[in-house]
Order: sequence, then C-alpha cells, then structure tokens
Amino acid sequence: MTALLAELREILGADGVLARAEELFVYEADGLTHHSARPSAVTLPREASEVQRVVRACRKHGVPFVARGAGTGLSGGAVACHGGVVIECARMNRILRVDAENRIAVVQPGVVNADLSKAIAKHGLFYAPDPSSQQSCTLGGNVAENSGGPHTLKYGTTTNHVLALELVLADGALVRLGNPAGLASGFDLVGAVVGSEGTLGVVTEITLLLMPLPERVETLLGIFPDVVSACRAVSAIIRSGLVPSALEIVDQRTIRAVEASVYAAGMPTDAGAILIAELDGPNAAVAVQALRASAHCREAGAREVAVARDAAERQRFWRARKGAFGAMGRLAPDLYVHDAVVPRAKLPEILERVCAIGDAHRLRLSNVFHAGDGNLHPNISFDRRDADELARVIEAGEEILRVCVEAGGVISGEHGIGLEKREYMPLVFSEADLAAQLALRDAFDPEHVCNPGKIFPTTRFCTESNPKARGYDRVAFD
Amino acid sequence: MSDPIAALARELGEICTVHAPLPLEGAQLEATLRPRSEAECVAALAALARAKLGALITGSGTKLAAANAPCRARVRLDTTALRETPEIDLDEGVARFGAGMTLAEVEAQLAGSIWRLPLDAPGESSTLGGALASAALGPRFGHPRDNLLGLRIALANGTVVKTGGRVVKNVTGYDLGKLFVGSNGLLGVITSAWLRLRPSPERTETLIAPAPADAQLALSAARAFSARTAALVDAALAARLCSALRAPRALAIELAGDEAAVEADRAALVAKLGAQPAPDDTVAILRETQAGAGIRFRVAVLPSELHALCGLLGAAGARTLAFPARGIAHAFFAGASDASVFAVLLAGVADAARRTGGAWTLEAAPLGLRSGREVLGELDGSIALQRAVKRAYDPAGVLNPGRGLGEI
Repeated sequence: MTALLAELREILGADGVLARAEELFVYEADGLTHHSARPSAVTLPREASEVQRVVRACRKHGVPFVARGAGTGLSGGAVACHGGVVIECARMNRILRVDAENRIAVVQPGVVNADLSKAIAKHGLFYAPDPSSQQSCTLGGNVAENSGGPHTLKYGTTTNHVLALELVLADGALVRLGNPAGLASGFDLVGAVVGSEGTLGVVTEITLLLMPLPERVETLLGIFPDVVSACRAVSAIIRSGLVPSALEIVDQRTIRAVEASVYAAGMPTDAGAILIAELDGPNAAVAVQALRASAHCREAGAREVAVARDAAERQRFWRARKGAFGAMGRLAPDLYVHDAVVPRAKLPEILERVCAIGDAHRLRLSNVFHAGDGNLHPNISFDRRDADELARVIEAGEEILRVCVEAGGVISGEHGIGLEKREYMPLVFSEADLAAQLALRDAFDPEHVCNPGKIFPTTRFCTESNPKARGYDRVAFD
Repeated sequence: MSDPIAALARELGEICTVHAPLPLEGAQLEATLRPRSEAECVAALAALARAKLGALITGSGTKLAAANAPCRARVRLDTTALRETPEIDLDEGVARFGAGMTLAEVEAQLAGSIWRLPLDAPGESSTLGGALASAALGPRFGHPRDNLLGLRIALANGTVVKTGGRVVKNVTGYDLGKLFVGSNGLLGVITSAWLRLRPSPERTETLIAPAPADAQLALSAARAFSARTAALVDAALAARLCSALRAPRALAIELAGDEAAVEADRAALVAKLGAQPAPDDTVAILRETQAGAGIRFRVAVLPSELHALCGLLGAAGARTLAFPARGIAHAFFAGASDASVFAVLLAGVADAARRTGGAWTLEAAPLGLRSGREVLGELDGSIALQRAVKRAYDPAGVLNPGRGLGEI
C-alpha cells in the first residue's frame, strides 16, 4: 500500500491524495450509514488522464477502486471495499460546454446536479432528472445510479438524458461512447453504462440532453381522507391520459412529522394523505389539464383541492414533500430511506402491508412516494447504535422487498442495489439473469477491480464462471 | 462426420425445416428454424451454439438490407411465431407482447383503449422484435429504448433471461434492455417485451408549409410543443402531400396533444409559415418514404448541423428527407448498379457525416453492393469493447455472424 500511495502522490501531488485516518473517516459510508468500510486512500484527480493513471496504478498493485461523487447515494454504491481506493470527482466539477441551440451540455462528473440547471436557466433550459439530493449530488453519481426524482414521471430518469460518455475502463484505457447526436453506431454501450453503479468504469465526461423550461407550471395539492383515495386519484389521472410531471403522495405519519418540524408547511395533520400533482407545458394546455386533474382528485374523494397561486405557494406545497426526509431524520440519529417499485394499481394494498410490517417490527415508519411511478419510499427513523433496532430495520426492509416483488414489482426504482440490496437480487432475478448481467461486467472489467462487491450477491455463482476475476465480489465485508 | 444440419433437424424436430439452399444476405441457408415459444427458441439457440452453426435471425425481413454482408450463416431463425398471449394493463398503460407480432397487430390489440404503441418502424410488416432489435425510427416516435420497460431474451448459452420488468421505473441491476435494443440480433433473440404505452392525443392536425430559408426558424417550428412529427421534404414529396404547394422544400408537421395546445401551435404555424392543411395520411407517406426502394443511408447530427448536412448530401447526389428536431437525415440514391459507384456514394455520405460531426449508417442497399465493405458507420475507439460484448454473449459467434459493425 505504501508503494501505491507513493505512486498516487506522484500522479496527483501531495494534496491530491488523502490517506490519514481522520481524512478517510468521512469516506467510510455514503447516505446509507449502516454499511461502511474505510478506503486505503482517496484520490482527487482533475482530469481524465489523471484518472487513467490512478486506475493503472491501482490495477498494478491489485487494489480495487471506486468513483465517488458527493456520497449522497442511498445504497452504499460509493463505499470502497477491500481497502480500495476512492476516486473522488470533486475537482472534476466544470461545465465544459453548453450548446443552447442543440440543447446539450458537456460536463465533468463532479458537477452538482442543481448547478447545471442554474447555469442553463438563462437559455430557457433545464436538466430534468431531479433527485431529492440535487442540491449536492453530482451528475457523475447520477449516471452511475441512473437517478430519478419526482419529475421522472414525465421526463424519464438519467438514462433518458445521457447522449454520450467518456469512460476510463478498468485497464486504464479511455473510450468515448455514444454520440452527441444520439445515434452512435454499434451497441448502445451508453445505455449499458448508465445505472451500472460504477462497476463498468469511471465516467470522466458526460454529454447531457437538456429540456426547454415549460411555459407554465401548475401545482395542485389534494387533501385526502386516506392513502387509498389518494392512490385512486393517481390511477384516475393516469388512466385519463394526462401525463403530469409529478404525482407525489405523502402519508399521514409523514405529514405529522413534517408539521412538527421546522419544515412545517401548514398541512392539515388530520388528513390521511396529501397528493401533490404538478403539470407543465404550454400556457394553452396546462390550465385545462390542472382542472381535469382537480376533478379526478375530487371524484376520488379529496376533501379539498388547491392550486398554487404563486411560486411561494408552490414551494410551500413541495415543502411538505421535500421536508419529509429532514423531518423524519430529526426523530432519530439515522434515517433509512427504502426504495422499491410496484405496479401502480397495487399501491394501496402494498402500503397497508408496508405499514403493518413497520408496526410489527416496532419501527417509526412513514411513507412518501412517487405515486405516478409506483415508486415507494418507506422511511424508517432509527438509531444504528441500537443493535436490536438496526436488526429490526433490516428485517423489515427485507420483508418490504419481498412483498413488492410478489406484487410484480422490483427492489429498486432509483437508489440502486449497491451493498444494501445485493443479497436480495435473487428475489427478482434467476441465476441465468444474473449471469447475463455479469457477462456484461466481464466484458468491461474481467478482473472485477472496478467497484467490486456491489450489485451482485456474494453467493457461489457470482464470479466462478470467470477465472480472471480476482474474487473481490465474493468476499463479504463491513 | 455427421451432417450438422441433419443433426439439428433430428434434435429440434418440427420447428426445423431442412430445405434446398436458400440464398439470403450472402448466405446459403440450408434450414429454417421457426420456434413458437421462448422455450423452443432457446433450445434452437443452444443447439446452434453446440454445433457452431451460424444463424441469420429474421423477423418479417424488412430491415435485412441494413447490415454488413455476407452473412456467415447456414440456418435461418425466423422469430415470427413467437406470439405468446399479450398482457395488457389498461390502468397502468403498460403491456407485454411477443416478439413475432407485427406492430399493426399490436396496435389492433390496443384499439378501443386510450393507449397507443409508441413505435412506428418503417416497413409494412415490421415485427415488434425486429423493430426493437433494429431500433428502427419512424417519423413519429422517439427511440424505442425510451419506452422499453423489460425484455425476455433467449441467449446463445441456452438460457432465457429477463431484464427490466413491467414497472415504469427500475434500477434493479444492469439495464441490459438498452444494450439489446438496437443490437440487431447479434447478442441474443428478443422473445417478448414490456413496453410503456402512450395516451392517444385528444386532437391531431397535419400541416405543410414551404420550408423557411432560415434553418433556425424551421427548427423552432419543428420544436413546437405539440409537434409529434416534423419533416423537411423535397419538392416531389411536397407536391405529393399538397399539390398546391410549389416549393423546393417543405416542412410537414403533425401536431398531436391537448386540444388547446394543438390549436395554439396550429395557429402559430399558419401565421408564421403560411402552413396549410396536409392530408391525414402524411405520416404514413413519410414512413413509406423512409422504407423506400433503392439505396438509403441515415445520418444523425446535432440539429444545428442538419442544414449543412443536407447540403452536403444533396451535393453527393442524394434526395433527402430530414427531421429537424431530431437532427436526422435520410439520404436516398437512385440505383447505383456497380460497386465502384456505390463506394463513391458511401464515401460521400461518410464524408458529409464527418464534416458535420454526425454518425452515419446504411439503411438499405442491394446485397452485391454491400458485400465486403463496412456499411454500418465508423469504427471508433469503442470497437474493442463492442467486440468484447459480442464475445460475452455469443462466444461461438452463431448469431448473425458477420453482420454487425466491424464484422462482429
């Protein structure tokens, strides 16, 4: 390790490598605090050629590496295992080019999501994927996780907005994938890399598709007696052919937590659920769509439907949704934001079961979710120092995933698999399915030095088919 | 040594028909496999891989001429009988269909609902599997990848795998669906697909106007909020769509969406460009043109480069049909009879693409002209990775051998 450190310092200079225990401490985990491992070093490259040299040095010394953005991920994807090296993208934070006419931007991976939208607003454009962490998460991290957000219902997730990538492969080679014009020859390797959680290489440049800012936005707040009627409104809206940009439900437990916190948004604490519906588009159409959506809410049993009169009121409505994590977080030292997807029609039944699972495990569980996508986010407030409570959190988390999969759903809608859910992959995939995914990994990184230990379960078959793999994926750690 | 074709026929039984050599895509095909289920499909692939027999994978055959040649196959694998019972969820707006169904059959299944299939690959009888495998773009909808939720795929290793699912948001594992859409049957055989459907619009209007000389004006018209199709057509096609229109180029636009949005865009196009009504079958005519006979290339560029691209393609002797909002031009060449003329055309297209920073590919040309040359675009720095991906899924090289970029 000393030899590797010396080499890394030669590449990046003394201030480009962190290796003291107190410096490494903050890199032990990401937003999922109960999985942690200390890296052996953190590197801070400024450009692709330095990333290439770091990767080659790691490979020479047989040390795995992981790229890291802001560390806001919620599945442990950016945690370095096996004494691995972190390639921190904080210094690769430049917006390289904005081409307003063609609605594209070329960025380095360390650019913060919200900073891009701020920088391009003057051109009448925005970057659509808007994960809750958008004020701090990076676009490189978004590419790794195929991040979503409330507005993906209409605009799609990260993968729908990435046109081209520059990628450092596990052997240090630099490749350009895709084409800014969007139709490159050969296989769609950009599509394969987005959402691969940093296991196929280190992204060093991203070409993104930008969207025109809508002429008008209407934000509705529906107050419902219960979650079931709010879900019914969501189904009615979708079935009618409306495509809102967001359909978000907040349950009563969350409303009460938010209202008792600094995030209080003036929501009625006796409401069973609130629905935030946002519609955007041309002036001519959006007002009519908002009326139609309001009518669907009323028919489904909303006791009250309000339309935001101005930007301040819109922000207030959204505070009830976006303040949920902060409000739940203040109830205990740790917050587990779970993530699963079910077919939308199953939401009411699944939510009831999710709450029952939380209650059975004596946990503080509440729900905010992307109802339009069927994407659940049960939030559990807990204290990881309480071993018994942590065990109950994990048991409940697994039960929730099983219930969602039985309903025809999947185990992650936007947070990724990472360390958190790798052992649950067999709930969704057969051995053959997983082998087909590993085949892609082997094509990119036959030795599995690139962010090992993520996505794939640590059971027998994972790496044995590939004699070149060093077996990092198989070794459990924590 | 036993005849591998006879052995294949014995193993696969009635789904394998041995016949007199059938010349197709430069191959002499000695048998046709026509699986009726994914189990039969994967059994066929496993048998082919064991015997190291190359197979030409076909749907209805509308995109066969968009590949490198010759194909080093001895067998044809026909996917048109992969027609399992559809699953359609009208509440959710998602559905699963077998790969062998034609797009028209899929649309018929959705008739009477508010949902439409967001795929419109050119070619009368395109199958769903073929439309996804070729990632063919029609005039109307975006890339098939954007509406794909999940796939079931038969692999050459004898397994059927799934990727994605039926839900509309999913980051569970690698997104192999993206890899297989547009992979032209080189990595596996798509047996069925879950798709996100799109609501049918409240109103549609089709308009045509003389193309504005200012390319930016054409681009902003093509980007009208409710514009679902926007095509720059040449004088001949313009005259066919609107006999009263006398213009060297015209912009044909289909608006679709809410009543109010369509009306606002229609009024603006009439006021700004003097647009007039175009026939209801305008989009069908555009699609038919995209699938026209002869030699066709497609070039994708940034929208700002489209005007320059069309100029260069025109100078190379092509008729063009272009989609400004997407930055796509189709270039049509009337009958090049010999290979040297074709080589000049291809070089002209490749040069036009290079000078405008675009990506080109051949969409159709007679077999004799394609043989022995790269027709699918430029080999770039990713080719080693592309080859590694091919090896990972088809180590024996039995799927469409020789037909991919770089003879993959």
